[in-house]
Amino acid sequence: MKFKLFMVLAAVGSLAILSTPALAHHGVAGYDMTKTITVHGTVSKFDWSNPHVVVYVDAKNDTGEMQHWTIEFASPVHMVRAGWSKSSMKTGDEITIDTHPSRNGAPVGISSTITFILKAVVNGQALPSRSE
Amino acid sequence: MRIRIAVLIFAMGAALAFSSGLPAQSAPAGAAAKTQKPGPMSGGIPDLSGIWDPDFHGPEGVRLNTWDPSDPFAAHPEKAPMTPWAAEKFKGVRPPFGALQTFNDTNDPVQRYCDPPGVPRIYMYPWEITFIQTPKIVYILYEYTKVWRAVYMDRDHPKDPDTSWMGDSIGKYEGDTFVIDTIGFNDKTWLDQTGHPHSDALHLIERIRRLDHDKLEIAVTIDDPKAYTKTFSAAKVYKLTTAPMGETLCAYSEMKEFQENVVDKTQTPPSK
Repeated sequence: MKFKLFMVLAAVGSLAILSTPALAHHGVAGYDMTKTITVHGTVSKFDWSNPHVVVYVDAKNDTGEMQHWTIEFASPVHMVRAGWSKSSMKTGDEITIDTHPSRNGAPVGISSTITFILKAVVNGQALPSRSE
Repeated sequence: MRIRIAVLIFAMGAALAFSSGLPAQSAPAGAAAKTQKPGPMSGGIPDLSGIWDPDFHGPEGVRLNTWDPSDPFAAHPEKAPMTPWAAEKFKGVRPPFGALQTFNDTNDPVQRYCDPPGVPRIYMYPWEITFIQTPKIVYILYEYTKVWRAVYMDRDHPKDPDTSWMGDSIGKYEGDTFVIDTIGFNDKTWLDQTGHPHSDALHLIERIRRLDHDKLEIAVTIDDPKAYTKTFSAAKVYKLTTAPMGETLCAYSEMKEFQENVVDKTQTPPSK
């Protein structure tokens, strides 16, 4: 029984890995999709354009050092269909956002593909999110 | 110049207005849609009108990375039934999807150069499509990169067609299915998201039909004896949507900016 369960989990796991969240125009090879971290800071720029919406966030790390985060989302049309807009956030807004960080440790993350949108709270208001 | 633009706009408007040689089936919304019976035929031919969104969610939301039915998610894309010519070409690809995906210096012609994705690869992207059916030509409009094709219903292929990104397409209706036959491709596009090549001998068959009122199936058969040792087929399901088609162009300046501001940063360890 345990073995059967293991096989099922293994099968589901490999399917999840292989069918991993296709982004619109690229895969997710640069990100650790098994890890989710929370970034809290101030929006320095919200770039609502193709191929992907991007937010730039100034946030202090655990040691108080300021980091400049770059976080990507799906394309504008997909974000619109999920309830976002170009006015979802603006420069100067306070943001708390979950993201899958880059594998290389750079302050870069991915918070949405066509299949999911991680939790983002802007000035105390939660934006539409979606689980896989 | 202004007159020319006005004429062009008028012509396009007229084409859209009258092209529904078929009784148009408006994309119904909400509860009304649910109560309607499936109505896939109109005037004796399949009615493909409406906007179709590839189903990436829900139980049928399978995302394909290849057209090889033995390896739909590209766990082993190197095992596709390639000829030595294609296998050699495949060795050089650095794809952004599948088991061999990389962020490092990909040579995906779409991602790198904003090349047209071509068919059938365009069906692997998560953007909408729509059909404009007229008696002589069926137009297919793709949201991704805002490209379109003409499928000629009243002629055969030219004997020696020029090669092109979208090929030369002719079509016919077989019962409830719209069948498209395309040849005359250049060999610059990938067949799929993992870099499988094709040759200029590619012969593509698309079979498009409504599974029910709200679902459309696009089945693709690859026949390319120069590149593959056998033909193979796979299908994708689209769902009827009321979301209007938007703008998803591949603008090289935007792609370059994204590459530098996001992708490249994931490839270089941050400076301390």
